[in-house]
Order: sequence, then structure tokens, then C-alpha cells
Amino acid sequence: MGVALEQALPAASHEATLIAELRAGSEEAFAYLLAVYQNPVFNLVAHIVEQGTDAADVLQEVFVKVFRSIRHFHGESTLKTWIYRIAIHEASNHRRSWLRRRLREAFSLDEDAAVSEMALAKSPQQPETPYQALEQAERQELVQRALASLAQPYRTVVVLREMEGLAYEEIAQVLGVSEGTVKSRLLRGRELLKRKLGSCMRR
Amino acid sequence: MFETCVEIRRHFSDYLDDRCERESLRSIRFHLNYCASCREELEQLQAIQAELQALPRHRVPPELALSMRVHVSQRVHRNLLRQLWVRCENALQPLLIPASGGVLTAIIFFGLLMGWQVAPASNIPDVPLQIVTPPRVRELAPINFNDGDQAVVVLGQIDAAGRVVGYRVLSGPVTPELTRSLDRTIYFSLFYPATMFGRPTDGQVVLCLRRITVRG
Repeated sequence: MGVALEQALPAASHEATLIAELRAGSEEAFAYLLAVYQNPVFNLVAHIVEQGTDAADVLQEVFVKVFRSIRHFHGESTLKTWIYRIAIHEASNHRRSWLRRRLREAFSLDEDAAVSEMALAKSPQQPETPYQALEQAERQELVQRALASLAQPYRTVVVLREMEGLAYEEIAQVLGVSEGTVKSRLLRGRELLKRKLGSCMRR
Repeated sequence: MFETCVEIRRHFSDYLDDRCERESLRSIRFHLNYCASCREELEQLQAIQAELQALPRHRVPPELALSMRVHVSQRVHRNLLRQLWVRCENALQPLLIPASGGVLTAIIFFGLLMGWQVAPASNIPDVPLQIVTPPRVRELAPINFNDGDQAVVVLGQIDAAGRVVGYRVLSGPVTPELTRSLDRTIYFSLFYPATMFGRPTDGQVVLCLRRITVRG
């Protein structure tokens, strides 16, 4: 996954040009930015917000903020790190407000269905037989559930590391924490996942 | 050198991310050679890592991507003045046709009303409204005197009916013969009377008389 994403992301030399064009208000540059980052950001946001259908709203907010704040981006980090930081900030805010709302409102039975309706890309490893396909789908479902059940700080670090392929330094920049904190959260997150999935991952 | 399984397992996360130092890496490998429990633990972690990396990614649906692009573009380029203008336009547009009709009707009604109220223009030709106008010659009687090239200047007094009441020679030779000729000329001539505020009145006229002979 990481390889495919890295190929799509702009090189450092192009990044400066892209930022300059974004600052000038270029629609084409904005379209390019959306084309490159919308899927990874959407994936990240969808794993943070509790209700998957809200990911689209958060995604819109993220890119509005990115386009508006690009003038204040001075290149202290990479563009990718900066966008991820905004995405996590927006998604966390949204999640907090959603949790507050949920405390006041009744639980809806349609929520799980809504989450499962979200568009998912096909897994890179295609199963050979229908049995394998079923087994893979079940395993992925379990992993998704286990991941979703993690506390948000651990889940965010695991998603950034395992799914988005960010380095420890980048995760630390995105979350605004030290590398040591990233390391300990990742360790704890993996341990929790192993505890939840241990029995079904035994070979 | 790590002593226990607990200590070793604390470094598994780094091991998975290939972030262990050479010394730690050697210790872990050595430990894994004889500790089946830790080996199984690591295999589980590796399997979970592989599953996480193979998880299908959430992708933005095409219709959402397009609508998001439009929405974000609108939000980014939102201009308060422009927005206010559009809102005013939307609010006033339904009123535009009734308001225009009302104004047009008012203009037509006002025009008709004014046409009816204002008195029609008079057909009688206007009299010049100068305060005072002098008498003017209407028809001059033939001049019978012959006094060479010298002109005779006469001051005539004209009454309100345009008749000559009297006259006086201002310059020129005054002879009995000339006086008779002047009497015939002046008393038989016709004049327009002088006017004051458009009404005929007495006045004076200065005439310069000279006989012109054309030889043929």
C-alpha cells in the first residue's frame, strides 16, 4: 500500500511548486491536491470518527481548512504531515461532538449498516477460491472490529503506521507528541489487538 | 542482553518496524531460537500487522469526490458581498415584474391625467410682447420732390390708428416747394402704430427720404 501511495504523492521538489500554486488560489492545484490526498485522508478520518457516514463531512471540512490555511503553512513539516494533522484534529473534534450528542440521543440500529455501506477498496491480495474469499472477508471483519474497538489514541497511531505507512517521526509530527509516546502507543495498540485477535490469528 | 520474555516482548513492536539496534536485534533473535512462546507471540503480531496492512482502504466514492470538490470550492471562494448580492437578487427578482408594471402604469396614468388637466394651446398668433415698439412704415406714398442727392430727414408723429398727425424736418433744405411735396408724401403714407405692452399708442418715426432716379 505504502508504495502505491508514495508513488502518487508529490515529490519534495514538486511540493514547493504545488504549495505556491495553492497559495495563488489555483483551482488545478487544488484539484490535484484532492486527487492525491482525498483517499488516504478519507481512510484515516473514517477510522477515527465513530460513525463512518460522517467521514465525508469531516473530509470536506479538512480540505476547506487546508485550502484556507495554506498561506500559513511555512513548510515546518511536509505537506502530507500537515494535511494529516488537520485531518486528525478535525476528526477528533467531530468525534468528541458526536460522543456528546450520542449521550443525549437514543442508539440507532441503522448505524452498523451505514458503516458497512461505506466504499471500500479491494484488498490487494485477491483470494483464489470462494472459501478463501469468505475466510478473508471474515478475518478482515474481525480485524476491523478489533481496530475500531481500540481507544482513539492507539487506533490513530496504528492506522497511521500500519495503513498509511508513516514513519515514527512523521506520526509524532502529525499528532504533536514525542517519538517515545508514538512508540509506546504503538506497542500498547499492538498488544491490545493481539489480545483481541489472538485466538483467530493462531496458525 | 535481555533477560526475560517480558523484556524481549517489549521490543517486538520495534522489531516489527525494523527499528531495533544491532545489539537488541541479536538478543531477540537469540531468544527466539529457544523460546517457542515468544516466537508464537511474534508470529501473531506479524500476522496482525499483515492483516492490518492488507485491510481494504476506505475510498471516496466518485460522486462524493465530485460533490466535495464543488462544495469545497464554493466554501473556499465564498464572498460575503457576492453572497449578499445573490440573496438580494433572489429576493427582489419575484418583485421585479410587478414593480415594473406598477411604475409603467403610474407613468401612463400621470401622462393621461396631465393631458386632461392642462389647457389646450391657443390658435391665435402671438402678439410680440416687447414693452414698447416704434411705428413702422406700412405703405409709403410716391416721392415727388427732386433735391439732387441730398436726403431729407423727417420726424413724423403717428397716432394710435396709424395716421400721421404732424411732422418736422430735421435736416435738409426747407423750401415751400419741398414742404408741399413732403405733405403729399407723408400724409398719404400708411403706418403701423407704435405699441406699448401690445396695445397701439402714439409714437414718432424718423424717415430719411431721397428720390432715386433710374436712367434707362
